Amino acid sequence: MTLALGLVIAAAFALVVILGITVSTRIQLSPGSALARRIEPIDIEAFRNLVDPTENEYLRRRLPAAEFRRVQRERLRAAAAYIRVSGRNAAVLVAIGQAALSASDGATVEAARQLVDNALLLRRNASVALLRIYVAFAWPHSALAAAPVLHGYEQLSGRAMLLGRLQNPAVPVRIAAH
Amino acid sequence: MLQAHSILWDYLWVAPNLFLLAVGFLIWKRGLSRQVPGFLAFAILSALAELSVFGADIAPFVSAPNFWRIDWASLLLESLLKFLVIGEVFSRVFTQYPSISRVSRVAVSGSGAVLVLVAGLIAGFAHGDNPTLLISGVHLLEQTVFIIESGLILFLFLFAAYFRLSWDRLSFGILLGFGISACVHLATWAIIANASPSEQARTLFAFLNMGTYHLCVLIWLYYVVVPEKVVRKSVVPLPENNLAVWNRELERLLQQ
Repeated sequence: MTLALGLVIAAAFALVVILGITVSTRIQLSPGSALARRIEPIDIEAFRNLVDPTENEYLRRRLPAAEFRRVQRERLRAAAAYIRVSGRNAAVLVAIGQAALSASDGATVEAARQLVDNALLLRRNASVALLRIYVAFAWPHSALAAAPVLHGYEQLSGRAMLLGRLQNPAVPVRIAAH
Repeated sequence: MLQAHSILWDYLWVAPNLFLLAVGFLIWKRGLSRQVPGFLAFAILSALAELSVFGADIAPFVSAPNFWRIDWASLLLESLLKFLVIGEVFSRVFTQYPSISRVSRVAVSGSGAVLVLVAGLIAGFAHGDNPTLLISGVHLLEQTVFIIESGLILFLFLFAAYFRLSWDRLSFGILLGFGISACVHLATWAIIANASPSEQARTLFAFLNMGTYHLCVLIWLYYVVVPEKVVRKSVVPLPENNLAVWNRELERLLQQ
């Protein structure tokens, strides 16, 4: 009986999740303008500084061990916040890119495909980097492993601008604040 | 009305399979068979298999053990085809993007392996609801198949939602139907196979299963019959105009 109850609860949970995703997917088919407004520009220079290994090494040499751990945890928290925003922006760009895949112009479709692919890669890397940051909270001596996210984000910015340029040459997409 | 072999019972057993054959015909007629060959095979073969089971149930010359053997064969065929369709939808949605193709394959294989293990363990702990192995076995197999099926479908929905991947309309409809069907069937088969419900309750569960399956077939029919709205997608709307940033990024692109 316990087994049956457990499986019924699991099945009900799965059904609720599937229907919830179905409903939210339908709702998310909102106009592109609403999507683009969800992009949060990131200060790339500050992010780069935060994940710079030399900066990390400098702090390690200059600060006492306890102080370094405290500072490093603060930096990890800040990096995690940047990475979360990067991941969210990547998700928005996946949606924007997928919307552009139905364009009639071949160059636009190719740019959109590359944008979606890069955005997916960034979202994946952001998840891995976040996981490593959470591990690093316990062991702050390890280096910040966010370089792939930073590189991916910079690349994505270029792709987004290229797509924006192809679709509407008058104005660019901006996902990075410098 | 809610009794075995009532008109409603026979309707719910036969009609979804006739609709499913119609779905298969429409897929072929509309030239979608190259997009979803697995689902086309499922629509035709599983409908025919279920109609054979229905025929075996009402035919006086088919003995009870032979009925259960036909049921076993039908279940195995349907299960195989369902996993084929899930694999087909997975390929259509996830493997077109190189950046997540490999990770999605690894993730879905891993989830599948875990689900098979869990379903096997749960089946091992079940005591069986019938002294005849032929009957209790088919119930346990139903439970096992629906655990794996619902788990895989849930995984695909979560994975796509996480990456904000949009599905093509047909794949979405197919998986939605399978998802609803698998979850409801899992719940009912879990009770039937493990909780020894009364005969009356079993009949009600059978009605629930057949009604749900009918609904799912109608969902598939809807997604095949009603065409996707052709919407002129708007250009990427642009949040800010920053020519300096644009130029810098363009230069960086050109230098790569």
